[in-house]
Amino acid sequence: MTESVPLTWEEVARVYGRKIYNFAYRLTGDPNEAADLVQEVLLRVRKGLANYQPGSFEGWLWRITRNAFLDDVRKRNRRLTSPLPDEIDRWELAHVPGADVEYSRINLGDDIQKALLELPIEFREAVVMCDVSGLSYEEIAAAVAVPIGTVRSRIHRGRKMLKDLLA
Amino acid sequence: MRHPDLLISAYLDGELSLDERQTLMSHLGGCGRCSREIRELQDIRAAVRSLPVLDLPPGLVAEADAEIAPVRHNRGVWVGAAAAVVAAIIAVATLFGPNPPTITVEDLNSRLGARVSLDPAFGPAKVIIPEVTE
Repeated sequence: MTESVPLTWEEVARVYGRKIYNFAYRLTGDPNEAADLVQEVLLRVRKGLANYQPGSFEGWLWRITRNAFLDDVRKRNRRLTSPLPDEIDRWELAHVPGADVEYSRINLGDDIQKALLELPIEFREAVVMCDVSGLSYEEIAAAVAVPIGTVRSRIHRGRKMLKDLLA
Repeated sequence: MRHPDLLISAYLDGELSLDERQTLMSHLGGCGRCSREIRELQDIRAAVRSLPVLDLPPGLVAEADAEIAPVRHNRGVWVGAAAAVVAAIIAVATLFGPNPPTITVEDLNSRLGARVSLDPAFGPAKVIIPEVTE
């Protein structure tokens, strides 16, 4: 876990913005929701940096990100669903250079993305934090505020559910 | 046979202690079910990790910055207003506070061309402005 001096807001946005976006996209399956979540996280980081206590900056950041996601889920009060294929198409073509190549890559992973969205939230976030964001079990446990044994169980069960969904 | 299921994903992620790793290895030697499960979950893990890494939508950070900017602007307005109020209070306190600027009767007479009386017989101090004649 990284112990570091807090960055400026601009540095946080530059260094972590893409990571947060990918985390949010894999959890929600929706580029607009993911973008909204990144904005909300950056807003909370801006407010929180003034009172940040030296410690694990990344742990603090992931707690904010995870809490923002859960708040968003509660606010929307609905079951998260996969975006329609044309939504991905429209968004990708509008935003990504070399969109045709990127779109085909997304198609290859589309089944995995859909399967991820079928997982209950606690299993989905554990798998995404581990395999998409690259966090260690200790970092996930700190962000989610559960024991490491719970993280271990959620990742394992989440992967088994994915295996059954993709079979 | 009791299968150490929960050790399998942690093994793939390099999150096992040395003892746990030895326990799993000795179990795998005689358990085809767990060996197969390791291979299957390894594929799932690799598939999720192979998902494309997406770029941030252009302008997203700038939009977030703009979202926050009005807060900063409003704060600046309030600070300016507070400073103006403080300045006004200081000015009033300077004029009417415990140590107001002193002015003598002679000053008043010479500046205003007036006659100032402080005679107690006339009651409170009076300033008599001379009539202006055409």
